[in-house]
Amino acid sequence: MAASCVRTVGSFIGKCGHCSLGINTITSQVSRQVLNRQICVSSALHGKNIASMGPEKFTAEFIQKQVEEYNIGKRHLANMMGEDPENFTQEDIDRSIAYLFPSSLFVKEARPVMKHPDIIFPKQKAAQWGEDGRPFHFLFYTGKQAYYSLMHDLYGKILKLEKYQDRLKVKGLFSSEGKKASLGLSRWLTKEELEQLLVQPTSQQDYNHFIQLIERLLSMPYSGTEEEFILRYRYQLEAESRKQTVQPLQKDEKGVAFSSAEGRRKTSNSSVILRDCGSGRVTVNGQDYLHYFPFLQHREQLMFPLQFVDMLGRFDLQCTVSGGGPSSQAGALRLAISRALLSFLSEGDMENMRQAGLLTPDPRVRERKKPGQEGARRKFTWKRR
Amino acid sequence: MAASISGLLKPWIPRVFLVRWSRYNPYYLEPEVRKEVYNRPETELSAEEKEQQELKEMRSIKAATGGITSSVFSDPSISKFTNMMMKHGNKALAREIISVTLETVKRKQVEKYHKAPAGKKDEIECNPYVIFHQALENCKPVVGLISVPKGGRFYQVPVPLSENRRRFLAMKWMITECRDNKHRTTPMHEKLSQELLAAFIKEGNVVKKRNEMHKVAEANRAYAHYRWW
Repeated sequence: MAASCVRTVGSFIGKCGHCSLGINTITSQVSRQVLNRQICVSSALHGKNIASMGPEKFTAEFIQKQVEEYNIGKRHLANMMGEDPENFTQEDIDRSIAYLFPSSLFVKEARPVMKHPDIIFPKQKAAQWGEDGRPFHFLFYTGKQAYYSLMHDLYGKILKLEKYQDRLKVKGLFSSEGKKASLGLSRWLTKEELEQLLVQPTSQQDYNHFIQLIERLLSMPYSGTEEEFILRYRYQLEAESRKQTVQPLQKDEKGVAFSSAEGRRKTSNSSVILRDCGSGRVTVNGQDYLHYFPFLQHREQLMFPLQFVDMLGRFDLQCTVSGGGPSSQAGALRLAISRALLSFLSEGDMENMRQAGLLTPDPRVRERKKPGQEGARRKFTWKRR
Repeated sequence: MAASISGLLKPWIPRVFLVRWSRYNPYYLEPEVRKEVYNRPETELSAEEKEQQELKEMRSIKAATGGITSSVFSDPSISKFTNMMMKHGNKALAREIISVTLETVKRKQVEKYHKAPAGKKDEIECNPYVIFHQALENCKPVVGLISVPKGGRFYQVPVPLSENRRRFLAMKWMITECRDNKHRTTPMHEKLSQELLAAFIKEGNVVKKRNEMHKVAEANRAYAHYRWW
């Protein structure tokens, strides 16, 4: 279990921090023996059915203790690796663990791991009934208490808003525009995100029902009063173009500006150096592109990004490509050229190129052949008997 | 979900394996390759279009496929037609046939243009792309027939077709016609150019087939209510 793995790694590092003290090692040995003795007692003697107990339940104090242990262990690890304990990030932890505990196991989940307990121990609902066995929440017996209580709250808010509107109408202050909720650029939470929020599996129908009801709340004129509640169920979007990394523009000895980038498609890898000479020559793996790509479509693909931004004759391309077939090599080169071109373009041009599909790496790869079928999709000839 | 699309090469595995699934997350939009869409100045756009543009900036876009470019020479319907004509992945041959066909069409039309008297010269269309589009438009059926089982018998029910289906049927009929009903020495591009020119003036076997389909649909009008969708 990953949990026990972490416990061992974390506590091991905690103990290593005190390994100079001999007394501690003896006590740790003794405690380990005691633990061993406890483990040897089989739960069958207690008459417990382990399967019926459901997933392991962790108390809040246990999780807190794990978090403290994790933080202490992180500092010890940083000291061991000779790095700054204050700025020790998760990537550094992963690197150090891979160095200290090298493992060649194929299953990545079985390798030693040290992560924050919130990631390792799944989020669970707190105990839902008191000592007398009576549940705390009034909707416990519906089975989906979090979801139904959310729907209940939502409908309560809709009724409240309607009452508010009636009161305004009585006073004569009602206006059909009213105060609408301003959402900014956001979208509704997906079903998976809602499940995470509620810590409870939700079906597609339930999710659709929830979206219907909250859209109804949003469409009411005075939904601005409940804006804060609605925003809790919206995910703020940020511009995709900001996620692009632009290659830096370099200058070589003759003062010619150039930039280089890499691209991949299927199994081809390519790298391109774009020089701002003004000649428009293209060299692929040392050969002229007319010899390397005899098929017109591949040459068109190379020219596509340059033609899109109207800079056809301006650049000199020096490309290297390996792996795959001609079409996938052309695709890899196209991606590399688009990326290299970004350092010569403005933000608006970059957004246009992204919307033209030039900056997305193509994820399509060859689908594997399945057993019992002739190919990826083709089945064997169907015989009646 | 949007936050987890950070690794774009991460394959999207659907929860339930459908028959037709793609490596892209369904959140991705189709790319817009034509240049004129991006050259429109700010003032021309209405408020709705501005909002749409803003929303599009937040969405991920799929990669452009390997057959299309933003140049004036790439046409979406011609690309579709080339792909449908391609056999065993031999795109080079399909493209060769199409380009030779368009050249043949142009040559024939230019010949006709030079032979025509001065008054009739304006009526002759020389642009092969215009002829291709018009011919395809003339071959597209308006209604299709679907086999619906009712009480043990199968009835041919007339049904409205979507735009994609109409385009597909027109192209498929054109290709099958050119492959089957030609003399063994006639090359494909020759036969295709003949059929395209015939369809342009609403003659030829493909247009005849479309008209027959329409006649059968008209005759089976009584069964139209067997359709429940």
